[in-house]
Amino acid sequence: MEDNIGSDEGSTKEQDRLLPIANVGRIMKQVLPPNAKISKQTKETMQECVSEFIGFVTSEASEKCRKERRKTVNGDDICCAMETMGFDDYAGLLRRYLHIYRGLEGEKANQVKAMNNTQQ
Amino acid sequence: MRQAGIYSRISSSSSSGRRGSQQHSLPLARIKKIMKKSDDGVEMISGEAPIVFSRAIELFVEELTRKSWMLAAEDKRRTLQRDDVVSAIHGTDVFDFLVDLVCVPDQQNERKESPVGSETETVGSKRTKVGP
Repeated sequence: MEDNIGSDEGSTKEQDRLLPIANVGRIMKQVLPPNAKISKQTKETMQECVSEFIGFVTSEASEKCRKERRKTVNGDDICCAMETMGFDDYAGLLRRYLHIYRGLEGEKANQVKAMNNTQQ
Repeated sequence: MRQAGIYSRISSSSSSGRRGSQQHSLPLARIKKIMKKSDDGVEMISGEAPIVFSRAIELFVEELTRKSWMLAAEDKRRTLQRDDVVSAIHGTDVFDFLVDLVCVPDQQNERKESPVGSETETVGSKRTKVGP
């Protein structure tokens, strides 16, 4: 995928470190009244805050993996990092979310296994 | 009872990358990229990590937006401004890690005289902290 096509490589790299402004703006609108407006500068600030949030949490999670001599940052590490940073409410919700996700993945794996067995 | 919303969102995200990226509100590949840039020590990232992050980011943006809106509403404004976000950050302990990223309200008044580009420079100065 040629992401760098275009005259300004610098701006491409800049965009790479931020989530798309449209996505961020959409989440913001979800919790605002219908008549509320958001300035572009505000959305840009939120983009920066999100990237900082990702970085901060990832560093915590990565540190935990290093201490435990693991190479892969997983969902549990993210949840633990949230708790360490004081986002206890998030951690609880995310653990449930992760539990459901893993359950669904397990179901899928079992279905594939069952299909393979019947084919034999 | 089945929670249709949560199940449909998670199940679509756990399927192939292409379908997942269409269903998710946030691009998982981009989240993964930002994670890798944040810490040189990040070696590998499990498939579930960006999915968990996607939900975490929604919670984060929602909370910060709600707090910012309360300040705008106190001022009887219907447009959310950057200052509202800055003030919400300063007023919430758990958002302390963002204090250096955004200007303090006093500095913000100086910046209002400068073009928008300088705002980007100020925020961009944190780039050294986020990436290599």
